[in-house]
Amino acid sequence: MKNWLKTALTLVWKDLVQEWRSRDMLTAMLSFAVLTLFIFNYAMELNPASRSEAAAGIIWVVIVFAGTLGLNRSFTAEQDQGCFDALVMAVPELSVIYVAKLITNLLVMLFLTVLVIPIYSLLYNQSLFMPMLWLVLLLGAWGYSATGTLIAGMTVQTRMRDLLLPILLFPLLMPVNMAVVKAAGAVLAGSALSGYASWVNLLLVYDIIMTVLSILVFEYVIQE
Amino acid sequence: MKTETDLTQLEARAISKRYGTQRVLDHLDLALNGGEVTCLLGPNGAGKTTLLRVLSGLQRSQTGELLLDGARLDFHQPDARRQFGLVMHQPFLYEHLTGPENLRFYARLYQAELPEAQLRQLLTRVGLGKTRPVPVRSYSRGMKQRLTIARALLHNPRILLLDEPYTGLDQQGCQLLNSLIGEEQANGRVILATTHELNHARQIASLFAVLTRGKIAALIPNVGLSLDDIQLRYQQITQPESVAAA
Repeated sequence: MKNWLKTALTLVWKDLVQEWRSRDMLTAMLSFAVLTLFIFNYAMELNPASRSEAAAGIIWVVIVFAGTLGLNRSFTAEQDQGCFDALVMAVPELSVIYVAKLITNLLVMLFLTVLVIPIYSLLYNQSLFMPMLWLVLLLGAWGYSATGTLIAGMTVQTRMRDLLLPILLFPLLMPVNMAVVKAAGAVLAGSALSGYASWVNLLLVYDIIMTVLSILVFEYVIQE
Repeated sequence: MKTETDLTQLEARAISKRYGTQRVLDHLDLALNGGEVTCLLGPNGAGKTTLLRVLSGLQRSQTGELLLDGARLDFHQPDARRQFGLVMHQPFLYEHLTGPENLRFYARLYQAELPEAQLRQLLTRVGLGKTRPVPVRSYSRGMKQRLTIARALLHNPRILLLDEPYTGLDQQGCQLLNSLIGEEQANGRVILATTHELNHARQIASLFAVLTRGKIAALIPNVGLSLDDIQLRYQQITQPESVAAA
């Protein structure tokens, strides 16, 4: 177990160092997120009352679409120099690759969220610094990364990976999308926890199930 | 020096591999022995790379089995693939990490001890001892190939599979690689190398295996063979019609 964890952390360290030095993924994701926020800002001339209702949906759509760019890169970067084969040869269990990629993708998603929220607040003149909102987005990002990492691992070896990833991923994310938008909307509307606890529970259950399931099937998914 | 009974033996039995309707390997049998260097020859598209991928567990064959020291090799076992050191067409290197960082990273994955002195020694063995620690993306093709060879050796694998290892290497690099292969051969490793560089391969090969039409068509011991002898034997096996016509 200790070695497994050490291997996972080594892989995460490598991914973060690679990303920090190249900034390929973060630059693309952040540019896309900011541009989309601007487009929403001009396309939807919202009055202050309707802004709160739309905020949850806009933020989550921006994060999910920008996140898809990152998911695509997370495995194709390994494929470019054949490094995925080297990882398969070197790690004791293939599930460790999944867990490491999941952690990296989640960290990248959270980093993106931390940048998107203040930009949204500035553009829409709406404070979003609410702990429960952050919790909902964290759970949403976890579910998104858990499912997305598995699907990205599956599609990376296909020629149509860029097209296949969103086509396969988005239907599986329906429960997450619904729960995040509903729960975040309720938080922004000032509801009590009891008003959206069922959505938070749904997120938590989805996250745990998808993570465990993905760890179990990852080896079979990436093999021929 | 290892005795003959200690030496590793890898055996492929009745290996078949198809891509769609194209049969690449057809009930192929091959035995590789520790302390021997087998050079795998064959025309382009003969299935040399596929064979290496199947032997290393990167691809599954449709039929057949692999035996390591007489026991069935099960790639679901955690450490099965870690017994292989692999050099393929792609370098398996991270472009934004430096050479030493790449080696330290892989050493950690293999849980291999790689203290600084050993790292330096390994880099020196492949002729990169004096290279500045710059990201691999600024390395030349030959330097990447040298680093790739160091990566394949760092966890002391029992079996070395080398796919076109001379690619990108200059004359000095080829000689260095041959001396490295010689050292690993003396350590009793199983070594299988695919190559078209017969002149270099002749200096290290114990045996030439010719792969054509999905099977090992001939095993030629490298005993007193000149380059012309090898080329003629190779052509007789892979293009019998043209040799007969000539």
